[in-house]
Amino acid sequence: MTSDPQNPSDPASPSDHAGDVVELSSASRATDIALDELELVYAFIYARVGNRADAEDLTQQVAMKAIPRLRQGAPASAIRGYLFATARSVLGAFWSTRLGLSQAELHEDLAMAIPQGPPSDESAARAHRILARLSDNYRRVLELRFLHGYSLKEVATEMRSTVGAVKVMQLRALRAAAKVDPDA
Amino acid sequence: MPEQPENRIEQIADDLLHGRRLRLKAGDAEEKEAIIAAAMFAGARQGPQRMSPVFRRRLARILDSAPSEPRLTRRAALVAGLGVAAGALAGGIVGKALAPSAAPVPLSASHPVVPKNGRWTDVGSLADFSEGQGKLVKAGAVGAFVFRRGETVTAVSSMCSHLPCELWWESGSSLLECPCHPVSFTSDGKPSSPSYTLPALNEVKVRLTSAGRVEVLGT
Repeated sequence: MTSDPQNPSDPASPSDHAGDVVELSSASRATDIALDELELVYAFIYARVGNRADAEDLTQQVAMKAIPRLRQGAPASAIRGYLFATARSVLGAFWSTRLGLSQAELHEDLAMAIPQGPPSDESAARAHRILARLSDNYRRVLELRFLHGYSLKEVATEMRSTVGAVKVMQLRALRAAAKVDPDA
Repeated sequence: MPEQPENRIEQIADDLLHGRRLRLKAGDAEEKEAIIAAAMFAGARQGPQRMSPVFRRRLARILDSAPSEPRLTRRAALVAGLGVAAGALAGGIVGKALAPSAAPVPLSASHPVVPKNGRWTDVGSLADFSEGQGKLVKAGAVGAFVFRRGETVTAVSSMCSHLPCELWWESGSSLLECPCHPVSFTSDGKPSSPSYTLPALNEVKVRLTSAGRVEVLGT
């Protein structure tokens, strides 16, 4: 995010720069606060990329970009706002890069509400709200495949269908799920 | 023969459900809604996720080792691992930019990167570059963002002029952003905020050959 960059110049005394890094006394406390806030960011990102490796990379990017703000001793609410603004930017860039699309094209596809508290079941609740609006077959295939972790073959057996048919149904169910507004 | 979309989506779903990274490729944008929905369902599968202890410790180390920015010295930047390419920056720029100053520091002029015994490196055809979008290329030791405008190309150094960190292109804002601190630059290398007292990015020499190839002067 670049909407409100901070000027890197500093009114401190030049003598402060004579040696190596001088840690601020509040640095450790700031790190603790930052890590707690980054837990929220991690959960937020994980819920959108669906895997740990990408979620860790993106969370680290957010942390790197936010370090100067984190060191300013701002209240947690202000830090959270900045972290999530950064997280949205990083996620937008992630999908944009992976799919070769502009972020404007992706904007409507990314659910980006900022959580207000500790990691909750909001992502699961959102998924269930979407599932509830799908047809029985679509809901069933997505529940079995994604929420219960069935293999395609197991889903086919459960639904008395074929692997090929389940594959097509899975694609159509995901397309249909993408069109559902869970908050409507 | 192109891959059937149901097979491709199943491959992506299978990766996600086995905890693997999203490995997307050309053509996947056709099913972007389905892919994003698959990632969302995979992310919802195990409830809210917390950072692993190993990752949390790694983040803590990063946060702790990142110096409070105004106190960062050139040596500290190198020690912190941020300064691999500090030597590539014009000498003194880092020190000047980091030095405290109550009065505005005039912007330094952008100096072209002209490596000793430099050579032109082919970085792709003109068609590989999207109009107005920055693309990171490497010409030996020289990293650059190349911008295409019609039939012309320009390039700026990929290294921030403030901290020795490699920039990244943010297509949403059309700015080059520094991952190490909240500064950004426009495609012509100027700091995005007029109140900034940072030097502009160094220009990198780039040319378009008669065969439609883009070449960057590197090492």
